[in-house]
Amino acid sequence: MPSVGKDIPNDSAAGHVSGRSVFLNDVSPARNELLVDFLGSPVAHGRIRSIDLSAASDLPGVVALLTHKDIPGRNRFGSILQDEHLLADDTVDYIGDPIVLIAAKSRAAIDAARKAVLLDIEELPPILSIDDAIAAESYIGTQQVIERGDAAVALAHSEHRLSGALITGGQEHFYFESQTAIAEPDECGRITVHSSTQHPTETQQVVAEILGVDFNHVIVICKRMGGAFGGKESQAAAPAAMAALAAVKTGRTCRIALSKDDDMRCTGKRHPFQSSWSVGFDSSGRITALSLELFANTGCACDVSPAILERALLHSDNAYYLPNFRVTGRLCRTNLPSNTAFRGFGGPQGVVNIENIIEEIALHLGKDALDVRQVNCYGIDDRNITPYGQRVDNNTLPKLLSQLRQSSGYDLRQQEIAKFNVLSPTKVRGLSMTAVKFGISFTNKTLNQANALVNIYTDGSILISTGGTEMGQGLNTRLRQIVADELGVEFNDVIVAPTSTDKNNNTSPTAASSGTDLNGAAAVDACRTLRERLAEFAAPLLADPKTGLAPAPMQLRFENGVVVNSLRPEQSITFRELVIQAYKARINLGERGFYATPGITYDRDTGRGTPFFYFTNGVAASEVEIDRFTGDLKVRRVDVIIDAGQCINPGIDRGQLSGGFMQGLGWVTTEELRYSARGELLTHSPTTYKIPNIGDLPEIFNLGFLENTDHAISLLRSKALGEPPLLLAISVWTAAKQAVFSVNPAAASGLSLPATGEALLLAMEKSRSRPATAR
Amino acid sequence: MRDSIVLYVNGERREIRGASVFQPLATYLRDELGLTGTKVVCSEGDCGSCTVLLGRPRSASIEYRSLCSCVQFVFQADGCHVVTVEGLGSNGGLDPVQEALVQHHGTQCGFCTPGIVMSIHALLETDPILSESRLRQGLVGNLCRCTGYDPIVRAGLQIETGRTQRMNQLFNSSAMLAELALARVQHVFVESAGKAFFKPTAIADAVHFKSTHPDCVIISGGTDLGVQVNKGVREIKTTLSTAALPELSSLSISDNEIVAGANLSISELEAAVTDAIPEYAAMIARFGSPQIRNVATLGGNIANASPIGDTMPALFVLHAQVELSGAKGSRWIDMNDFYIGYKQTVAASDELISRVSIPRLGSGEVLRLYKVSKRQDLDISTFSAAFWLKLSGRTIQDIRIAYGGVAERIVRMPNTEAHLKGRELSVEAFESAGEKALSEISPISDVRGAAEYRNLLAANILRKLYYDLDADRKQASTA
Repeated sequence: MPSVGKDIPNDSAAGHVSGRSVFLNDVSPARNELLVDFLGSPVAHGRIRSIDLSAASDLPGVVALLTHKDIPGRNRFGSILQDEHLLADDTVDYIGDPIVLIAAKSRAAIDAARKAVLLDIEELPPILSIDDAIAAESYIGTQQVIERGDAAVALAHSEHRLSGALITGGQEHFYFESQTAIAEPDECGRITVHSSTQHPTETQQVVAEILGVDFNHVIVICKRMGGAFGGKESQAAAPAAMAALAAVKTGRTCRIALSKDDDMRCTGKRHPFQSSWSVGFDSSGRITALSLELFANTGCACDVSPAILERALLHSDNAYYLPNFRVTGRLCRTNLPSNTAFRGFGGPQGVVNIENIIEEIALHLGKDALDVRQVNCYGIDDRNITPYGQRVDNNTLPKLLSQLRQSSGYDLRQQEIAKFNVLSPTKVRGLSMTAVKFGISFTNKTLNQANALVNIYTDGSILISTGGTEMGQGLNTRLRQIVADELGVEFNDVIVAPTSTDKNNNTSPTAASSGTDLNGAAAVDACRTLRERLAEFAAPLLADPKTGLAPAPMQLRFENGVVVNSLRPEQSITFRELVIQAYKARINLGERGFYATPGITYDRDTGRGTPFFYFTNGVAASEVEIDRFTGDLKVRRVDVIIDAGQCINPGIDRGQLSGGFMQGLGWVTTEELRYSARGELLTHSPTTYKIPNIGDLPEIFNLGFLENTDHAISLLRSKALGEPPLLLAISVWTAAKQAVFSVNPAAASGLSLPATGEALLLAMEKSRSRPATAR
Repeated sequence: MRDSIVLYVNGERREIRGASVFQPLATYLRDELGLTGTKVVCSEGDCGSCTVLLGRPRSASIEYRSLCSCVQFVFQADGCHVVTVEGLGSNGGLDPVQEALVQHHGTQCGFCTPGIVMSIHALLETDPILSESRLRQGLVGNLCRCTGYDPIVRAGLQIETGRTQRMNQLFNSSAMLAELALARVQHVFVESAGKAFFKPTAIADAVHFKSTHPDCVIISGGTDLGVQVNKGVREIKTTLSTAALPELSSLSISDNEIVAGANLSISELEAAVTDAIPEYAAMIARFGSPQIRNVATLGGNIANASPIGDTMPALFVLHAQVELSGAKGSRWIDMNDFYIGYKQTVAASDELISRVSIPRLGSGEVLRLYKVSKRQDLDISTFSAAFWLKLSGRTIQDIRIAYGGVAERIVRMPNTEAHLKGRELSVEAFESAGEKALSEISPISDVRGAAEYRNLLAANILRKLYYDLDADRKQASTA
């Protein structure tokens, strides 16, 4: 029985529900272990004049106080630009920017030390907003552009023209397990760091560079994460390096586990964006020209922001053909923690623009927005080339739109809603369908590679390891399914080892929805080599005793724990028996597989190429109801259909769908980051930062998969599903926008993300807004 | 007098002395007992990852309720049985709740999962039948960032509830029950490392202690104090617990009023008013989460004196009375006279809140309560409003209005009340009342909302009230 395609529970689930799963901060402290934390900058921008550690160093329980001067290696890191410091050495760039590392015997001693360190900082004026950054020309890198045709000329000749602007807010990852690392030094100048990281290799490299040692002196291990969502792709490295630095300096095991408040205050988030746009279209709503300018609030450092901005640009078309198009993007450097990867990686910020523009076109023409979407949707045979030149192959978008239009009862419900909105004095409703066409591959071509180690032991059990990390998404379960099928054994015969840089080197982050695609394919590569080798060895063993004729190795099938001659099924040997015999015959029972995604290429300078291996497509129709008096929003019904190819694990895929959608729902509705005028995050805990809770689950939530057997190019005909569902929640926002329009047409265009109750009420009341001082 | 804390954890007796007594329960469970299934994420009772069951001895059995162990001090669990996720299942196997979550993908990263398991068990303690609506309400206090909740609900509906065991079956020990019942009514005083905890059994002792230790902090549910201590906002040295004072746990419901002891948990209050004042019960159902409601108390919410306490606007318009007990005896204060400024009350330094009398609605009287928050559930109010009306036909004979979140304390709206008194129910009357309301308040902008938003709400809520009253009348006439 094959494992792939089966609804197998997450292989950590039994540990999770019983509380037996060990997360990093559940590990019992080692002998003499120290806690590590840091003192961060009290100001958003400043120059350090002096740091006085004398009072703090005398405190009981405080073992080490470290500043940038104690860093043996290089105090600069970053995967694209090396513009981040571990500990501030000259300027501080955001509130919470680490200055002094504290290693102590207790949390109380750390708290006392934080109060006792005296900082003298010359405060400098901070840049906090995109507008401030534009005014000050505070940018990182150069402007990115993707262009096709002549948008300006086509705009001038368009039958209709509209322009506008859109503000999208940031988003806190709110992984439950905050940034955590445990570093164990050894007697040879090497160090092992257990880290809650999506990117063990980058964590390894940053630790090594901070410590001034070769990469091979650092082993980074990640068994599991309590959630990550992109927040532990690049930003797990600094906490790991802090633990490692303290460990090397004290010679003791050191642990850092940020409090939720500190984690929210000091780590990066989804990039807030601002855009301005001009669109030209004909009377049918078909877009003839689009000009779009994007600005992202990058925070204080580069991080992976250029790639995020690039993905935003590459997703500005979304599901729609734009004949004349120009999009530009800029990264605005501000005095906030450096914003970073977050599920969708710029994709949502790109897609929301075009979905918003389509709503504007529909409202302007008095047309149904879905009609406008369908008229602009990428075609099957023509109108199927993206602005960057990639053809949209196996295009399921038109089918998805029409199928959901029907299955969700879209047209009838729109009529009912129109009636309801006329009749109800208290509530207003909106229904909207949006699409997603999400490009699968890292746009940084180099990262589209993976290696996998597959070990077969002499009892027939199998252990695999890859560079992929488990954060709850079910990667390990899928890898076990894939390898079990490749070697024809049971799911339970295969286990996945904790990810570590000594088993798998130079790995890519588990990100870009690519974990299964890349690591699964590398594991398949290893399995096929092993299978060939074993088949070669097995064929003579299965020779006909009478004739002495052996089957050709390629005739052997590996299935159900048996290796069998497919032409003569009576000739077989159990996998276990084969393995022990192979071992005795000195056959290599381990293999390292490798995979590099074929056929992708993208030229950043020209904005042309085929950056994506394929697209994951989906559609969602969401209906909201808003209280006219309070702005309270309720999601009445959501229907989703996604094209995930052939599911490797339908239950896990469904969990990605519901989880991604609800995370997107938070981004577009209740998750609002508020800052003080000095750049201090005010919403730094769940009391004030509201991720969706179970009460926000749509009353009706229909999740479906498109039957797509034509997607043949990727691993087992499956499609990556980590990020795309998040973007489908944009339909909740467009539905809210339609509801606002039906109350107050003039205000709908001004709606930004997130559409909090406050934002919705202010929009609905805009024209008749009473001044706050009315007496 | 006992000088230690006695409690049971997963059926095992623990006697605790020294600094451990003053830690959060979650820290004790994780760091001292190694029960790391209980996770700590927010340290403020707002995510539910640290949910455990707390069993309090009742007459013949133990009553188990969920709570957030991060905002519960060890000393508060004195005389209780704490059940963590490690206490579930048998012989290393999973129980039906855990099995269903495994089989139906109710867990992804796993960090919130033990809390989810415990909250589902809390639901099963009160009723073995799980419906979708019970699951949606019962898990309001458990955030999950991975699953989007849908798989959890689906798993919850697949639980083989016929096979689940209630905690009284799983931990069937008469010795434990007997010891806990005794421990609950014992005088306790623990002192260590500059901190002290006192749990008297007589109100006179409590009053005396308070007058001799003016800096002591009275603790009942502790859900707010726990946050303040965890976040370093406040240090507490001496704590006076009201948990063992019998007067404070009393409850009497008559035709005219409900007299509730100050220690009544918000959950118990909700149950007490469900039939008597259903509108109040519906509002209380949006107070925090089940975990918070199970330990937070009515007296604590009143004493906390927050301008956005969810139990209070109703108490203003109903003219609830608060009983203060002190060295000179007790006195009753009208709720409307109880607060004198931001987080300031009329209570003297030796006084504590002992009981609250809540009048029931008379004939022709209507109570309407509103709460607006960024997220519908498990959120602190941005704005709240309470309306009490006496209607005769369409005429407003009398009206009382209280708003929360628009000033440093909950305020009555005398001009708006006067404006509406004697008028007929009409859109115009309530719209103009909205204008009047704006003249009575000057809200601030804060993290929960801008002043402009609160002003809009203050006016709009009167229009909303009109339509709700109108709907009531239409419903009544068709019934």
